[in-house]
Amino acid sequence: MRWTGWLIAVVAVAGLCWRFPLFRVVSLEQAAQAKDAAVFDPKKFAETFWSARLPYAFSNAVPAEVLLPTIQTNAAEAKQKFSRTVGVSESYTYFLSGKGRVLSVTEDEVLLGMTATATNAEVSLQTGLLFSTAVRDAPGVLNVNDYPSSQDFNAISEALNRIVEERVQPKLREQARVGATIEFVGCAEVNDESADLQPLKVVPIQVATP
Amino acid sequence: MQIHLRLAWTLLLAILCLLNLVPAMAQPAAPKAKIAVVISTLNNPWFVVLGETAKARAIELNYDATIFDSQNDTAKEAAHFENLIAAGYKAVLFNPTDANGSVANVLKAKNAGIPVFCIDREINSTNAATAQMLSDNYSGCVALGQHFVKVVGKEGKYAELLGLVGDNNTWNRSKGFHSVVDRFPGLKMVAQQSADFDRAKGLEVMESILQKDPDLNAVFCGNDAMAMGAYQALVSAGKADKVKVFGFDGADDVVKLIAEKKIAATGMQFPKVMAAKAAEFADEYLKGKRDFQQKIPVKVELVTPENVSKYGDYGKKN
Repeated sequence: MRWTGWLIAVVAVAGLCWRFPLFRVVSLEQAAQAKDAAVFDPKKFAETFWSARLPYAFSNAVPAEVLLPTIQTNAAEAKQKFSRTVGVSESYTYFLSGKGRVLSVTEDEVLLGMTATATNAEVSLQTGLLFSTAVRDAPGVLNVNDYPSSQDFNAISEALNRIVEERVQPKLREQARVGATIEFVGCAEVNDESADLQPLKVVPIQVATP
Repeated sequence: MQIHLRLAWTLLLAILCLLNLVPAMAQPAAPKAKIAVVISTLNNPWFVVLGETAKARAIELNYDATIFDSQNDTAKEAAHFENLIAAGYKAVLFNPTDANGSVANVLKAKNAGIPVFCIDREINSTNAATAQMLSDNYSGCVALGQHFVKVVGKEGKYAELLGLVGDNNTWNRSKGFHSVVDRFPGLKMVAQQSADFDRAKGLEVMESILQKDPDLNAVFCGNDAMAMGAYQALVSAGKADKVKVFGFDGADDVVKLIAEKKIAATGMQFPKVMAAKAAEFADEYLKGKRDFQQKIPVKVELVTPENVSKYGDYGKKN
């Protein structure tokens, strides 16, 4: 009778351990895969964002023929109507699209006149190394509050800049001949209005020749 | 008749005054609600400014405010949270010690119904603190990195002094800086060591780096306290004119040395803006507001000898 009691207790404990195991044995390979899955991959994220989400934001870009004249006549009004600011900052971004004629090409920029007769550049498409967070912030699709660690949010910016450098800038350099017409969608960051607005420095995220 | 009328008026006024004053005299003034200001360390003037500003703004808003110094120790920080929860504080203005290690403390306060507002440093959670006012360290150091390349050139040897390795600010600054400088293969980092955001350790680490690599061109320091320590080591070694020092914070002593062209640049954070805003958030919360944005990045501005006249007293001059 005493042994029956013990037997029931052992079976009960075994059943509990089977239902709620104290530990689980997994292979090192599985453990490594699980760890990798938990780590945020900014390149993978940027790749998906670039192809699956960003193109849907293109329709929100402000037409350059609306934005640029407003900047020229009243920069404060343009900022109020069309800009985006992340957090507390005097800097801001524009997300814009337009079509312009190539006036000149240098190592780091393609200068565009936005009207048929323009002789002064109004837009500078950036073709050098990219460092700003304009591509991440200007379209207004990504929100810092969705990322527990700001390191992840910042890594996205770096990964997006690399995509632009690898895929958009080479195409732009190829198409940019003086006199050619370039259609673009791009992101501009304004840190210093006296230096960044005339011409407006734009990181291109899509370029085409009509 | 006229005398009676005057007497009646005087009596009426006296009664009205008594009605108004007596309750105030009978009841002692209600104690003010208490706000705790928990700061990672007070062994750095920048954090002293952060803490004192938060406290002063809370007092202006009619609260009792007390500063707690965590001395860069998560265990001390945890003890502060235990104490302030037990002591009935109504809100916490919090400068965390560790992005991961401090989350539990914030959750403990949250579970006790006490809102926590992070200042300057972030915690790796979006559902623990009520709001987080954070310097945009990454973008600040991207700008600093671009200036570094402009001043040092595309070739040279440099060292980096890192802050606390468990703090997100340390890595956001380092990564922002490297996102620029690493694009120039001619710029070689010969040493990267932590000096815990501490001036004395900055001096010590810089001395040891100089022994190993005496022909450095520049040093990038993750905060101004370490930049001051590094500069002091360079002065002692007679190399202050040869090695360019870059800091981050916008501390007054560094801003003064930038004006004298002895330090190359720093990133101006705005501790007074962040601390005051956090106190105002706490006040709004205690008055019923609940819809706070979780993270609010605050822009960091590049300070160089060219624009240094615009900056001072831990911010921008008016």
